Amino acid sequence: MLEITLGHYLILAATIFTIGVVGIFLNRKNIIVILMSIELMLLAVNINLVSFSIYLNDLTGQIFAIFILTVAAAEAAIGLAIIVIYYRNSGTIRVQEINKLKG
Amino acid sequence: MIIHSIFFYIFSLIAIFSSIMVIASRNTVHSVFFLILDFITISCLFIMIGAEFIGMIMLIVYVGAVAVLFLFVVMMLNVSQQKNKWLSGEKNSNHIPVGLLISIVIFFELIIVAGGWKYKPELLKNFYSIGVDLSTTNTHEIGKVLYTDYIHLFQLSGMILLVAMIGAIVLTFRQREGIKRQSYFKQISRERKEGVELTDPKYNEGVKIDA
Amino acid sequence: MEFEYLIIFLPLIGSIISGFFGKFLGSRNSEILTSLLVSISSILSFLIFYKVFNESYTNNLDVLTWINSGTFNVNWSIKIDALSSVMLVVVTLVSSIVHIYSIGYMSHDPHKQRFMSYLSLFTFSMLMLVTSDNFLQLFFGWEGVGLCSYFLIGFWFKKESANAAAIKAFVVNRVGDFGFALGIFLIFYLFGTVNYTEVFELIPQSLEKELSFLGINFNAINLVCILLFIGAMGKSAQIFLHTWLPDAMEGPTPVSALIHAATMVTAGVFLVVRCSPIYEYSPLALNIITIVGMSTAFFAATVALAQDDIKKIIAYSTCSQLGYMFFAAGVGAYNVAMFHLFTHAFFKALLFLGSGSVIHSFKDEQNINLMGGVWKKLPYTWVLMIIGTLALTGFPFLSGFYSKDAIIEFAYLRGNTAGYFAAGIGIFTALLTSIYSWRLLFKTFHGNYNNKKLNISSMHESPMVMIIPLIILAIGAIFSGFLFKDLFIGIESSSNFWKNSIFFLEPLSHDHPPSWFVLLTPILVILSIPIAYYIFIKNIKISNNIVNGNLPLYNFLKNKWYFDELYDYLFVNPSKKIGLYFWKKIDSRFIDRFGPDGISALIKNISLLAVKFQNGFIYHYAFVMLLGFSALLTFLILK
Repeated sequence: MLEITLGHYLILAATIFTIGVVGIFLNRKNIIVILMSIELMLLAVNINLVSFSIYLNDLTGQIFAIFILTVAAAEAAIGLAIIVIYYRNSGTIRVQEINKLKG
Repeated sequence: MIIHSIFFYIFSLIAIFSSIMVIASRNTVHSVFFLILDFITISCLFIMIGAEFIGMIMLIVYVGAVAVLFLFVVMMLNVSQQKNKWLSGEKNSNHIPVGLLISIVIFFELIIVAGGWKYKPELLKNFYSIGVDLSTTNTHEIGKVLYTDYIHLFQLSGMILLVAMIGAIVLTFRQREGIKRQSYFKQISRERKEGVELTDPKYNEGVKIDA
Repeated sequence: MEFEYLIIFLPLIGSIISGFFGKFLGSRNSEILTSLLVSISSILSFLIFYKVFNESYTNNLDVLTWINSGTFNVNWSIKIDALSSVMLVVVTLVSSIVHIYSIGYMSHDPHKQRFMSYLSLFTFSMLMLVTSDNFLQLFFGWEGVGLCSYFLIGFWFKKESANAAAIKAFVVNRVGDFGFALGIFLIFYLFGTVNYTEVFELIPQSLEKELSFLGINFNAINLVCILLFIGAMGKSAQIFLHTWLPDAMEGPTPVSALIHAATMVTAGVFLVVRCSPIYEYSPLALNIITIVGMSTAFFAATVALAQDDIKKIIAYSTCSQLGYMFFAAGVGAYNVAMFHLFTHAFFKALLFLGSGSVIHSFKDEQNINLMGGVWKKLPYTWVLMIIGTLALTGFPFLSGFYSKDAIIEFAYLRGNTAGYFAAGIGIFTALLTSIYSWRLLFKTFHGNYNNKKLNISSMHESPMVMIIPLIILAIGAIFSGFLFKDLFIGIESSSNFWKNSIFFLEPLSHDHPPSWFVLLTPILVILSIPIAYYIFIKNIKISNNIVNGNLPLYNFLKNKWYFDELYDYLFVNPSKKIGLYFWKKIDSRFIDRFGPDGISALIKNISLLAVKFQNGFIYHYAFVMLLGFSALLTFLILK
């Protein structure tokens, strides 16, 4: 336990990923929490990549982590813009009231 | 090594705690704060492990831009405080036990991946130590590769950001009514006959000038 | 020559043009076109007939190959010999006359083109029937005339009774056709071919063949003949399968004249005569035919005595005369049967069309009790009907005299008790025929005017377009017997005229019965005229007393010997009950429950469940995605 191996980092990443997943469908508050959960999942993936890169002495993982960072930022921006517009149109961002896709 | 492990445990515990609080907070602003804490912690972890470029970039981009953006939107949208209704038996709450079960399953599956390394000894030779090379910085190393081998991806990511920016503006742009705007094209192409109008105002009356 | 093609196909062309393009042509044009085409056919068939009896012309044209499968070869063909040329003349002549007559009779009908089209289509089918050289084309024509009969009987399809009558005709015919089809199958099974010439050659070699069916052994030839005769019974309305003929009077009168007097019902006789090579080797079948024919003649004549509808009387009269024809065929005198067919076509068509003229004048009244006393108002019709009645009853020197008396003579010449008995019944039936025919005539034209709805002064003769065809038929009715008797039934007729088309195993005897016998029938017939006049017109009380004194017998006759009620009890009601049972219990409860209804209900329920998936909550969707993802992951890890 004292020696930090790659496995520890992977466990950490798995934990954060699972918490992010849980946050998507187990929240009762509003949509912004869903977006934050997505950011958590991306963060977990980043941890995974960087720790692999460090332990295997290969820089590819870090490069990929940079790109993921970029894309996550872009996606957060667009997601928030969509939420803003949705709020303009329907006046609420509570999760239970967003059921316009009901078939 | 001891320092490494102590710091690793501290940082990881804080990270896990704050991520739980992200989704469990009653107040959405608190959630955003915990998200920021999460990012900072992980960034410190990265710096400790030797990938300081990534750590710094995360700090700047994630914390400085994305999380602040979240905060802006949360403030703007006037999110109300809500009681946490998980356990109060609501209509849609019958899939919580199943959901928790599924998430535990996913967690363990991810762990199995980690444990599976044990059965492939030849891959484990590098898993125990970090070879820290102090001759060149992490930033330098990344730069050597990013602008040469991965230049196309780099440009593409720039374009993604451009598209995202344009997309966000296009989505949320709205014209406000009743605002006076300048259109330089109209200004330049104005002719005398529509620009100047001679009137003869009566005594004690003014003229009405339209906008 | 191409006359044969024209004869057969001109009516078909007329039918197609009038049927499909009648709207564009207009009713008057399509009437004229179809009548013209059929008349051309008729003139050409006279030419062919002339060639046949002058130069012994025969021909067998193969128009198209129909089936060519291994050793089974069947062709669409046109076979011209004496038998088919006689039928050609009869069919086309009566058909063209009926076409022209219908121009006048159906003048108030809005569907003239459809009528003309059906008439021409019927003519085509009948021509296909008589000019075939194999059983299969015969069956095609057989079915075709049955189909056209259905169309024409149910022509006024808005009338409920017409629809029912058409279906009844088709169904009863179907029973006969079933036997006929079995006969054709049997012929193919025994001989490997259905072409006439080949079958007829193989018959003498197969006399001893036996078949076993349901454990009983039958002689094959007997069985074939009986089965074919069942088909003839259905088509020609012999007893047991006769119930459709009176109801077929629901159709317009020209239809009755064409189909139920001259052509379709004679198809059965034609079949038996055409298959004379087969029937000559089966004495059992010939006996059956004789008995059936005789019984039908007697039965129909008795029923006709008690009918009140003018067309039904003539219909039963047709039934009875057909019995005579079959009777002649059964005693082996096929040429006499054909002769009677030939003359019968003329006077029966004349009678039907004349009665149509009467009905037309009485504005669609058909009950003879509500007619009477109009002989001065409808002179042409009256005279023509008299001619027809005289010919029908066998008044001396008219056509019916030659043909009908020849039949009775041949029966007598048989010599055995069956022959004498048959001849006696034949004479008695002739007497009955005479009585009911004159009853019809006198009640329609003489006596008091009994119609309640119309005033006698509004009676007027039918237009010339209806009278002229009747005159042509009357000429035939008067002269055809005298002119053609040597050709058809003379001493040398089989070598002069019929040649190979009719087969006689032993030549017919040419003796003459004693003179008292020969004179008996005509005397009875002539005497019955004043007797009938007296009973039915002068002193109606006598006929009423006879009726009232024998009320059960009268009702028995009037209700057609209760055949319809019997069939209702035996076949129709049980079929209905079985059908109802199958429909209610099995079809709707069982099959539908597990089949369409069950499946549709199942699908509905499943889809109601599936709808709950799409409730619009995004996190729900994300959850489902997650479930799928975890399942996939588990599967991959465990693999």
